[in-house]
Amino acid sequence: MELSLSGNALKTFARCITCLARIGNELAIQASPSQLAFHTLNSSRSAYQSITFKPDFFDVFTISGTQVQCSVLLKAISAVLRTPLTSIDHLSVLLPDPDASKVQWTLDCYNGMRKAYWITCNIEPDIQHLSLDRRKFPSSFVVRPRDLNRLLGNFQSTLQEITIIATEPSSLPSDAASEIGGKAVELRSYIDPTKENDSSLHTQLWIDPAEEFVQYAHVGDPVDVTFGVKELKAFLSFCEGCEVDVHLYFEKAGEPILMAPKLGVDDGSTSNFDATLVLATMLISQLHEGNPMEPPAAAAMRHDQPFHGTGSQAQERTRGNVSEYPSDHTRIWSDISGSGAKSGNGVEERHVEGGRNPTTKELGEIQRMSTMHISEGRSDVRNMARGPNPNCHPMETDRAREPQERADMEGHGLSQHHPSNWVDADEDDDEGDEAELCVQSTPPYHEE
Amino acid sequence: MSTSATEPEAADLVCQLDNVQGMVDALTSVRWKRHQDAVVELSEHGIVLIVEESRCLQAKVYLQRELFVRYGYSAQGRPRFGVSLGLFVDCLNTFSVPGHSSTIEIQYPGPDMQLLLKSLDSANACIYAEIRTRIPDMVSWDYNFEPAGSTPLSFTVKSSALKEAIDDLEWPGSSIQITLQPVPPSVTFRGDGHGNLQIDFKYYVNTDLLVAFHCDHQVSYRYKYKFLHATTSNIPASVIKDNRGSKLTIGRGGMLKVQHLVSVARPSISHSHVDSAGYQQPSRIAYIEFFVKPEEDEATGNDS
Repeated sequence: MELSLSGNALKTFARCITCLARIGNELAIQASPSQLAFHTLNSSRSAYQSITFKPDFFDVFTISGTQVQCSVLLKAISAVLRTPLTSIDHLSVLLPDPDASKVQWTLDCYNGMRKAYWITCNIEPDIQHLSLDRRKFPSSFVVRPRDLNRLLGNFQSTLQEITIIATEPSSLPSDAASEIGGKAVELRSYIDPTKENDSSLHTQLWIDPAEEFVQYAHVGDPVDVTFGVKELKAFLSFCEGCEVDVHLYFEKAGEPILMAPKLGVDDGSTSNFDATLVLATMLISQLHEGNPMEPPAAAAMRHDQPFHGTGSQAQERTRGNVSEYPSDHTRIWSDISGSGAKSGNGVEERHVEGGRNPTTKELGEIQRMSTMHISEGRSDVRNMARGPNPNCHPMETDRAREPQERADMEGHGLSQHHPSNWVDADEDDDEGDEAELCVQSTPPYHEE
Repeated sequence: MSTSATEPEAADLVCQLDNVQGMVDALTSVRWKRHQDAVVELSEHGIVLIVEESRCLQAKVYLQRELFVRYGYSAQGRPRFGVSLGLFVDCLNTFSVPGHSSTIEIQYPGPDMQLLLKSLDSANACIYAEIRTRIPDMVSWDYNFEPAGSTPLSFTVKSSALKEAIDDLEWPGSSIQITLQPVPPSVTFRGDGHGNLQIDFKYYVNTDLLVAFHCDHQVSYRYKYKFLHATTSNIPASVIKDNRGSKLTIGRGGMLKVQHLVSVARPSISHSHVDSAGYQQPSRIAYIEFFVKPEEDEATGNDS
């Protein structure tokens, strides 16, 4: 096998290696005359990345025989690519014969230096294959990496897992008593409930997919998926470097999610490389706490998707976990289309300063948000409800109504947007368990 | 014997330096460990500082008298003393103010054989330091570098490229083999550890990578990585910026000599003592020399 590449292809290649190195340790290489494929699987077997290159990605692409495969350590490839790309004229990769024990990576630099690395390779690698058909996923969204990074910036940087809750966006403003339109997607930090000393920042972020995502498709009941943040960020960096949007496909808790760069109109057919990242998701749905979808052991066997990392007994997350520490949760709103209580974690400021320039409509909302926060009257909240912005429909519901709603949640007829998402317009600041003006979590917690 | 009427007259050496940062850069380039004992030798030609490790690696910094604004030498013979290199450099650093010309006076010996440093910048304030010195334990090992044969085996390579190559050669995790061969004229650095890395420098006329190359027969020697790494690990940024070259010479028995040039000249503010840059440049350079002993067993294909 012999390859050679330079210029922009080399930059893309280096970006691929960087991303792969953030996912797994070993790189499985499979080459055939029609394509070159890189795969890696992380050690907990919860993340699988695959990148394929067409022959015309390379300056030279020669494969002898039908298929060549080997595996190398990603650390070694990263060592090769430590040399600044701007000083490299071209990179050549050579596997002299299919049973060779070392694969040679050669850098020819502009300044005349030539660096030849011989990296030990395993010629009988245990190559996993995981190919999921994107069309089988019922739900998906497309987002600009920069935007999703900005949303992730609201979460504690050490956050390990995140939950995305997707609901069906209503197109019409619904009856204020039962439905809420607009903020169809929630991002929520997932903190392992078995961790004893939990001093982490808990964050919930509701966003309007119409504003934050380039595309969004979800119908039916709300679903949630919980997966690793590290891998997500690695893939976002990768896509951002390639200047493409991220397409994320999902189904429901327990089913893997798939991410791919959105290349061109036909999703890959026009490009000479493609990448996918498959992440396992937690089996326990955050929406149906206390009611796991199926017994963990059985679920673990499905689709070769082992339970993501933390420990098999962590699944018994009860609803109580959310309700036990209501005041520890930070609740914020997306600045784009909502109002929100400032819980003083400083995130709001960041939201307002950076990122997209809010439209005048949004600026108005932010102003109203501050106003609402300051005043104790209800009138401002009502203003929001009746405001011209169709994205913002605070739910005016009594707390008394909650048990009903909860019952609905547990049953089959789920409301799309939990009423407790929204500030209760009827309540005074002093009322209730918490003195803070805040949004109740989804799902609701018990009143005491 | 000089009469000790006033201290400055009795001192072996009183010198003034107008660019402390340059001296810091020069001395930093021979730091490869946290604790290093240096031997300083004073003479009418200048100051030489020598550091050494386990009889395998030695470095010398030559600060000739022309680098100093004033160099008053009045010793009998050549005084030698030991001083902690880290302490000396860190102390000099406190006198160095970025962006300002910092002139200091160095005097030896003080009343208790100390090394005395004093700032001369300001009329209102003075920074003053004393550094304890020691009697050197042993005579500095004279590496007795001899040429390998009638023709030298040497090459001059861009310092930045040399540093880059040696940094890359950390990956194999092994000793480094340096090979010079006349046909085609090239220098090769190679490491064979858990992986292999070979870096080739070819002597083409049109690149400025290998500036000079002299070799009439193939030679190849191995050197411990950590010693080779010490020769470039703390090259000051000014060397890279000034696009300087480093000269490597292989002597008899495979002894490797690595020479760097570190600029001590002040980049900006003009001082009355400094003439136009062009004239003063040659003497505003400190010479750094490293000697690296080869590994004993490997001497493949070499003559004598």
